[in-house]
Order: sequence, then structure tokens, then C-alpha cells
Amino acid sequence: MNSLFSPAHRQSLVISLTAFFTSLLLIALVSVLVLISFRGGAYFWPEPIYDVTYKDAVGSEYGAINNTSDTNEADNGNKKPQTSIKDRKNRENKENRIFAQLYITDEAERIYQVHYADDQSPYGAQMQLAEADVINMELAHNSAEIKTIDGRFVLGQPQFLTTPDSRRQDLSHFADIQSRVTALSSQIEKIRSERLSPIHESLASLDGKGVNRNAPARKRLETQFERWQHDVIHFEQERDEYELRITFANAQEYSIRVSEIKSIDYVSQLSYFEKWQVVFNRVATFLTDSPKQANTSGGVFPALFGTVLMVFLMTIIVTPFGVLAAIYLSEYAPDTPFTTAIRISVSNMAGVPSIVYGVFGLGFFVYTLGGNIDAFFFADKLPAPTMGTPGVFWASLTMAILTLPVVIVATEEGLRRVPEGLKRGSYALGATKVETIVKTILPIASPGIMTGVILAIARAAGEVAPLMLVGAVKFAPTLPIDGEFPYLHLERQFMHLGVLIYDGAFHSSTDAKNSSMMFAACLLLLMVVFVLNVLAVILRTRLRKRYLQG
Amino acid sequence: MLKLFERNTLNVADITDDTTAIDVRNLNLWFGNKHVLNDISMRIPKNKITALIGQSGCGKSTLVNCFNRLNDLYDGCKYEGEIVIGGKNINSKKVNVSRLRTQVGMVFQRPNPFPMSIYDNVCYGLRLQGVKTRRHLDDAVESALKDAALWDEVKDRLFESANALSGGQQQRLVIARALALKPEILLLDEPTSALDPLTTLFIEELMAVLKKRCTIVIVTHNMQQASRVSDYTAFFHQGRLIEYADSDSLFTMPDKKQTEDYITGRYG
Ligand SMILES: Nc1ncnc2c1ncn2[C@@H]1O[C@H](COP(=O)(O)OP(=O)(O)OP(=O)(O)O)[C@@H](O)[C@H]1O
Ligand SMILES: [Mg+2]
Repeated sequence: MNSLFSPAHRQSLVISLTAFFTSLLLIALVSVLVLISFRGGAYFWPEPIYDVTYKDAVGSEYGAINNTSDTNEADNGNKKPQTSIKDRKNRENKENRIFAQLYITDEAERIYQVHYADDQSPYGAQMQLAEADVINMELAHNSAEIKTIDGRFVLGQPQFLTTPDSRRQDLSHFADIQSRVTALSSQIEKIRSERLSPIHESLASLDGKGVNRNAPARKRLETQFERWQHDVIHFEQERDEYELRITFANAQEYSIRVSEIKSIDYVSQLSYFEKWQVVFNRVATFLTDSPKQANTSGGVFPALFGTVLMVFLMTIIVTPFGVLAAIYLSEYAPDTPFTTAIRISVSNMAGVPSIVYGVFGLGFFVYTLGGNIDAFFFADKLPAPTMGTPGVFWASLTMAILTLPVVIVATEEGLRRVPEGLKRGSYALGATKVETIVKTILPIASPGIMTGVILAIARAAGEVAPLMLVGAVKFAPTLPIDGEFPYLHLERQFMHLGVLIYDGAFHSSTDAKNSSMMFAACLLLLMVVFVLNVLAVILRTRLRKRYLQG
Repeated sequence: MLKLFERNTLNVADITDDTTAIDVRNLNLWFGNKHVLNDISMRIPKNKITALIGQSGCGKSTLVNCFNRLNDLYDGCKYEGEIVIGGKNINSKKVNVSRLRTQVGMVFQRPNPFPMSIYDNVCYGLRLQGVKTRRHLDDAVESALKDAALWDEVKDRLFESANALSGGQQQRLVIARALALKPEILLLDEPTSALDPLTTLFIEELMAVLKKRCTIVIVTHNMQQASRVSDYTAFFHQGRLIEYADSDSLFTMPDKKQTEDYITGRYG
């Protein structure tokens, strides 16, 4: 035995064993990154549209499975067009022709996941299609992905435009017509905001004063209102008569209002460079737009904003608290069993499941604290709660409590690293304890404090469960910030990237393989956390260089 | 060179109240239950260099730390007796410890510059005292660095980090930092033990110059250094003051057998 495993052998065995597990870890890490960036990135990639003829295998196991308008998803390995299999054509079955984008193929069974549109479901549907059922498939050069304002997609071949005088216009006039439509829309909006709402308000105030139904003032306002209302209807009708006529693969016609169109991308004829332009535009939309179609389309701006705001507020709250607590524990607190108990419980608090903090936040902050604030300061608005309801402030506070141990532990670690000689040097120059802490100890401990804050930020940015209890929602109609006094509305509910992803994961009724905005949001969250970390590491190294003896 | 170290010292017994900088009277000190300083009484003369020697752990540093109450930083430390500086007993509760520490400067065994610029290091004490005007600070920095014989080496890089200086330069910076407060007493706790012989000599010369302005107390393990630079020398053993005399007598004809053994290197 000994001869078999000489010390050298044994050592190499240990090395290969440890190396094996390290590489497993690396593989796991890399595959997470690759999966998320690949699927997330694919959300933005314009997929070509194919004109697919297939036989409708009645009673086949691969029927249309749902009607959600899911969007782009790609699998690099399966981008090449599959050619026809005419010889297997079966005359007995009905043939269907659709415009479709093809996604993942089940390699073994040759099944496509397709996102298609036809006259039955113009706004897109999904189904699985076996390669065996495909009769013909070719790139549809003239078809386009038409995106609507409300976040849906139509795959179709644009034919011509119609105008209110029911004349046909060539497609080349699209930009022209679109700007005309936009002008109409803004005119309508202007009448609404400048004419209709003031009249509405005056009427409401007359109501409040209890003015007679038939008072002349009221009558006059009402006729005015009707006149403007009439204009609005007129303009709307005119606007809605600008339409884009498209045809589907089976030559059926369909019309889309120009006012509803956001973009038209001829994805099948884009060059590589143009595809990147499309990607760029979609990323911009993704970052600036609000979610559409129940968080499966559109953008994530409110969630991004909510995440950043919540994390920012949390940092403002947790940093001073954590640092002060750590200073007390390491510089002032006497060494008694009691303080030892506190120290131990602080480090254990970091391991408490986050949902516990969520429940605590809901029970204590929202109901107890918020309820009391309402009772004292917003009594006039009760029973409608102001602070006694989940909101971004309570969420930040809850996350601050949740991350407090992390900050305390890291700061204490940083404080412990301050050389005793420097403290004594400071005292020897006549500094008091407070002066020594502020001028010498804290700057030197700042890299440690930074580390704690970063960890806290990363944790808070990725947390979901407790946030859903104390203020994060799937959809918030308003941002917590707006132009209305006091501009920052800390009592409002907010959207959060983590919650959006969570929602997306439950929501996508297709299999998770072919999902959507969830992955893109995931990628974004990953990038937010990554950027924050990189920033912090840079800051920390700079602080370290500056404050530690080199 | 020889002239620099030439002494003009009185007998210890002849040190009068006027010429005393630090008057230690029956000082006892405990760390917890450990009796570290045992009934110490000695008068440290003004504008002289007094060396404290003795075996490691005999309480030299502890005694020096008593002169600026740095022992207060340790929880378990208790002391009795008086230390009179400038006519006041600094062991009294009423003493403003911060003010005391600005009057009694201290340099430690290991150079401990703050991780800031050279300029900020020298200003540290002054800023704590509320000196803010740039001109005052500039002047103070320049004169303190000149006093510590460091000015010429760093005048072009005052705003660079003090950590970039060599050990000897750092130690002089720390001296300059203490001198910027114009202390009456300068305590040096083994200031050269981490330095090479040439730098050591440099700092010894510096002390000889500085003693014109302040009283210097130096702790050292180096007998040559003690005999070279100090006017008076006190020998400690296990918390007791064994012998205290002008350096010439102590090193040429010590009274006590213990002292003789120690300085001739027979133990310790
Ligand atoms: N903070 C402290 N807590 C407890 N005991 C201490 C403390 N500082 C010093 N002591 C003890 O007091 C005694 C004297 O220590 P001190 O540092 O004064 O010795 P020293 O003469 O300066 O020695 P060295 O030459 O090695 O520096 C030692 O026995 C030491 O263990
Ligand atoms: Mg010592």
C-alpha cells in the first residue's frame, strides 16, 4: 500500500481531487453566466422570419399550445434554415401556411418551437412543430416584425397604407404618415389636457358648491365640453383611419392602425450590421420603457429605477447605523459576556432567512409604525392608509435591517485591522477618542466598510421574497418619483428587477426553455450587481492603497 | 562631533525644583494584579537627555507612558503617586489629558506615520488644536521638518504619502510631528531600534540639538547609545529604580553590583 501511494503520489492525488472540485465550481459559475447572458442577449436579437407550410397533424401531440405573444428567443445552433421535405407530403391532411420565427429544436426529435402569426392569431402564438410535419420552409424576405405600442408583435408582410380619403399609399410614405398620425395624437392630447380637464374640474367644483343642475353656467360648460369632446372623437376617427395593410403567409389580409405601431423591422433582410442596430434600439427600449403585456414585453425601466432607488435608500440608512454599531462594539463596548452575546447574535443575524425580515418589516414597520404614523399625521385621510401600507421606504428599511449584520461584521473587521501603533500615535498627539476615530481609525477602516456596503448592496439588489411583503409589486402604475410635490414619494409601491424576474418565471406559460424578458431582466440584474461590485472593488483598492502601509 | 556630546552635568542629588522637568514621586503602577512599577521616585532635569535602561519587561515603556498618561488606554491599569510636570500633578483627575499630551510629545519604537501626506502628518496635532489658516500650517510644517532635519529631503514632496518614506525618514517625520506642537518634553521609546547605525547616529545628533529646546527622555537597549547621548541615566530592574545618576558616573563607576552587571553585559 505504502509503495502504491508514496508521499509524492498522495500529494498529487490531493491536488487533483481539490482541483477537480474547484473546476466543478468554475464550470457551474461559467454555465450560469453563459446561460443568462446567452438567453438574455437572445431576447434582443432579431430573428429572421420564415414562410412555413406545414400539414396540420390533427390530433397530433404538437398542437398550438398557447396564445401569449412571446418574443424573440434564439438558439445559435439552430439558426440555419431547414429545407423542405416534400417527399413526405401527406395529401390527406390540411396544409397551413404561416410566418414564423423558429427557436429551439429538440435535437433528438427534431421539433421546433415556433412563434408564428396568421389570420387566426394575428398578434402571435406559439406552438411546437415537428420537422416531419413541415412541407416547405423558406426565408420570407418581405415580411416584417411589426411591434405595437402596447408591446405586442405581428409577423406579416406589409402591403400598403390607407389614409382617411381611402387612398392607397406606398409603403415608402410610412414615416410621413406616421408623423401625421403623431401630430393628430398630440393634438388630441392637447385638447384633453388643456380644454377637457379644466372644464371637467370646473364642473366638479360646481358640483361641490351644489349648483343647480340647470344653472346657466353649468349648461354653458357642458356644451363647451361636448364641443371639444366632439373634436376629439373626430380627430380620433381620422387618426384611426390611417392603417397599415398586411398579408399573412396564407394571403389573408389584416389591418393595423398606424397609431398603434411602434416599429417595423424587416428582420429577414437585415444585414449583420443592421441587426446590431436593431439590437441596440431594443436594448434602449428595454432600459427606458415600462413593461407591457403583463411583464412579458416592453421595458424594465420602472423596475430598474425601483431597484436602484431602494438600494440607494437602503445604503443611506444602513451605512451610518452599521458603522456606528461596529464602532461601539469594537471601540467602546466593554468586554463582558453581554457584549460577547451581542457580537455572536449580530453575526448570526446574517444567517436568518430573509423572509423572516420580510414578515418583520410587514408586521412592525408597515402595520405598527406606519399605522401609528397614519394615526398621528395623516388622520384626515384614514381609513385610506398613507404610510401604513407597503412602500419603498419600508422596503428600504427592511433591507437595511437585513443587511445590517453584514455591514457591522465587515466594519468591525476593518476596525480590527487598524494598527495599534497608529491609534497610540494619534492619542499621543493630543487627540481625543472621537478625534482619533474620525481622523485615523475610520479612514483606515474605510476599505472594510466599503466591503460591507458592497455585500449589502449586492444582497439587497437580488433579494425578492421579503421585498414582496413590504412594497415591491409586479406592476406599479407610478414611479416613486414624479413632478408632484414632494417629488419623492417614499410611501408608494415600487417595481423591482428581482420581483419582475420571479413574476416572469411563473408567468411564462411556455416551457422555461423558450422564455423571454425574464432572462433579459436577469442579465440586467446580473450586470447591475456586477457593475456595483466592480465600482466598489476599484474604490476599495484605491482606499486601501491610500490608507494602508505599503 | 566630540563637542556635540560633551556634557555639563550636575549630580542627580543637586537637581533643584527649578531645573526639574518631571518630578516622579512614589509612583506605583499595576496592570491588573501585576505590580509593574514599584515605588519610583526620580527627578528628570530640564533640557537634558535622560536615558532609561534595563532589561526587557522591567517597565521602562510603562514609565514613559506615565508621563503622557498613555497608560490610560489600557483598561486594567491603575496607578498611585504623583508625577509633577510644570508644577502640576498630572496624575490628578482634573488634568486635561489632551493638553498634557500636546506638551509631552512621544515617539515610538516603530515609526508610525499616519497614512496621509507628509504635510498632513505634521499638521495632525495642530489641526486638532483648531489651527486652520494655511499660512500658519505651512510655517509650522516647515519649521518642524527643519527641526527634525527632514526638510531638505521632503520639501519637494510634502503632499506625497508618508508611507513612501524610508524607515529613518519616517522616524524623523514622527519626531517632526511631535515637534510641531512645540512640546516641553519629548519621550523617545527606543526610537532607533528599527534603524540602521548611520540613521541612528543621525537621530542621536538630532537629539543633541533638540535638547536645547526641550527635555528628552529616551528608552534604549543600546548601552553605547545611552552613554553617548544621555546626560543622565536611570537603570531599572523588575519595576524598581535601581540606580539613577549622571551618565558619566553611572557608566564608569556604577554604585550597584546589579547595574554593573547589566551595563557590562553580564546579564540582561
Ligand atoms: N497593556 C498591558 N497590559 C498588561 N500588562 C502589560 C501591558 N503593558 C505592559 N505590561 C507588562 O508590564 C511590564 C512592563 O512592560 P514594559 O512594556 O514597560 O517593559 P519594557 O521595559 O518597555 O520592555 P521592553 O524593553 O521589552 O520594551 C511587562 O511585564 C509587561 O508584560
Ligand atoms: Mg518597551
